[in-house]
Amino acid sequence: MLNFARFVLTRAVLAMITLIIVSLVVFSLMELVPGDCAERYLAFKNTQGSGISVADIENERVRLGLDRPFLERWGKWIVGAFQGEFGDSCILRVNIAQLLGDKFWISLGLCLASLMLAYAIAVPVGIIAAASHNAVLNNSLRLFSYLGLAMPNFLLALMIMLFSTVYFGDTLTGLFSAEFRDADWSWARVMDLLSNAWLPIFILGWSATAFALQTVRALMSDEIGKLYVTAAEARGVHGRKLLWNYPARHALGPIVNSLGFDLNRIFNELPIVALILTLTEAGALLIEALARSNDQQLAGAIIFLLTASIVTLNFLTDVMLAVLDPRVRKSIVR
Amino acid sequence: MTTTPDPLKPNLAETTGPHVQVVETEAAVERRSKEAYFTASQGQLIWARFKKQRSAMIAACVLAFLILSGIFAPFLSPYDPTIAGKNDDYLNGAPQIPMFCDSNGCSLRPFVHGVERERSLATNFRWVTTINEDERNYVYFFVEGWEYKLFGFIPMDTHLFGTQEGFVHVFGTDASGKDIFSRTFHAIWTSLQVGTIGVFIAFVLALVIGGVSGYYGGWIDSVLQMITDAVRTVPAIPLFMAVAAFMPPEMTAEQRFFYISLILGLIGWPTLARRVRTHLLTERNQEYVLAAQLCGASSGHVIRRHLLPSFTSYIIVDLVISFPYMVLSETALSFIGLGLKDPVNSLGVMLQNVTSADVLLNYQWYFIPVIFFIALVMAFVFVGDGLRDAADPYSDANK
Repeated sequence: MLNFARFVLTRAVLAMITLIIVSLVVFSLMELVPGDCAERYLAFKNTQGSGISVADIENERVRLGLDRPFLERWGKWIVGAFQGEFGDSCILRVNIAQLLGDKFWISLGLCLASLMLAYAIAVPVGIIAAASHNAVLNNSLRLFSYLGLAMPNFLLALMIMLFSTVYFGDTLTGLFSAEFRDADWSWARVMDLLSNAWLPIFILGWSATAFALQTVRALMSDEIGKLYVTAAEARGVHGRKLLWNYPARHALGPIVNSLGFDLNRIFNELPIVALILTLTEAGALLIEALARSNDQQLAGAIIFLLTASIVTLNFLTDVMLAVLDPRVRKSIVR
Repeated sequence: MTTTPDPLKPNLAETTGPHVQVVETEAAVERRSKEAYFTASQGQLIWARFKKQRSAMIAACVLAFLILSGIFAPFLSPYDPTIAGKNDDYLNGAPQIPMFCDSNGCSLRPFVHGVERERSLATNFRWVTTINEDERNYVYFFVEGWEYKLFGFIPMDTHLFGTQEGFVHVFGTDASGKDIFSRTFHAIWTSLQVGTIGVFIAFVLALVIGGVSGYYGGWIDSVLQMITDAVRTVPAIPLFMAVAAFMPPEMTAEQRFFYISLILGLIGWPTLARRVRTHLLTERNQEYVLAAQLCGASSGHVIRRHLLPSFTSYIIVDLVISFPYMVLSETALSFIGLGLKDPVNSLGVMLQNVTSADVLLNYQWYFIPVIFFIALVMAFVFVGDGLRDAADPYSDANK
């Protein structure tokens, strides 16, 4: 048990280190943007008619703490970030945590739902495909997997929009119906979200499904050929029991491990799909921050949060694997 | 009795006897093919295995066709893909299929009808484009059109097809009257260029970082791997977007093009670097390397004769596989307006405005280039997959 605690602790520390490196990357990127917060604040004032001087900008810099050395500001940012506090957005002049609010959680929920959808489809279908020697099934799955790669989610979203406008006269966009857009959370609003969210969930899960299918199928075909499966078959185990209790359990480890990268893949598509389907969540805010207003504070916060959720998921899957897989457990508890 | 064995046909003498004319028995043919197999170079082996895969071969043909059409894009396109080649009379025009017959009879040479755009009292003062059924614009091959430089230096003005008078738009036109057919082929060329530069930069970085990591091992390896993993954890496209957003807006189109390729390369290296490191680490400890070392081979000899050949094919495969990701990232970036911009043509640039209901309902031919891009990416994926199977010496054993 003590060993297990030590294992969890090491993993947690490693995850922390990853996050700190990521925060350094993100923070340096934020610094690279031409112009800083002080200039932005005062540029706004300038448009209001009051003249500004270089001295004003310097004073504003001191007030915002922008004159401090890089490492100090980074340290301050990262400490705040771990407490969920990202400061104010220079452009929108609102607290970022407040601005993101439940938009980030909606995004994360959408992505996790697509991840679950992807694996709910990929695991059974992949196992069946690996077990059967049906050439038609295998080839069509292969084609589907490649299509998942070749047709990025945003093209799929465009195609679905194209067909739904032509045939149904509805673009199927948005996350909430008009009457719920700014309402407080209630049961009705949740139901409304769910009735609109199936399309983004499907589109976001599309390429992840294709990838997961390929992973599951490859892992299963590797395991099925092994001797212990033949031995189990010789002992009289057959059918579904053989598949689930022998090769599937062995293939489980790498599949659980790949969860984090699939979430990464889904996050990749999130902003663009959000743009096409006009979703109002963190992905759309990210595009807004980057492409339109150049709001580095907001963009940095969103990228950091997305990465943090991937790192957290990786940490959770590591621990889960240690609990589930006796081989990993044994190697920890020596 | 001794025979002098013919170096080209070893062992045949024993199977057929010295005085008999060489008769190719089945065994001899088989033996010879085995002989060829054992003496073949790695390239020949990979090619032989690659040829056996039907889907990969078809994909390779499609890919070759697309690459060629990218190289000869100016020759294939009847009109200048930039604003200079616009057709003012045919904005948002539907695709024109060259035809042989109309209500006025048939002709052997295909033609399209002329179009006119007018605004008058009769049209309620709106711009209306009408097709003039009586005007025939015949389509000719090898016509002279806009001037271009083939391969960047041969000045030419001949195009594969075109009309003497008027215009022919096989894939229709966009909102400013630019020919979508011409733009599509130029966009393929742009994507190939961006992908090549991006892959090359990523490859150099990966080779250096992965090479250092795999060669030195120890704590250097651990630190580099930690950084690589951290960079890999950040979702790539949001990161691309963040970097691309910092481009100064006054950049010219060409500068943007190189900047975008540079970004793709600078962010795309971690996956490749990891593969290089893994290859190096596993190959370094292989028994054949040990055997060579025990035979007294110098480390230079081991690297040149044993490690590099075992390695290059995998790296080439990795490059081919990572190529479509570069192309897709560029498309995504340009699509949201952070990547390339007019007058550079790329699929992302062409798709920028298609989400509007107007385009979705009325101008569906904007989506024609998508087919070519799916074909391009699919071809790369299939070829990459086929190459990977072909480069893996154990792939036959698994089947």
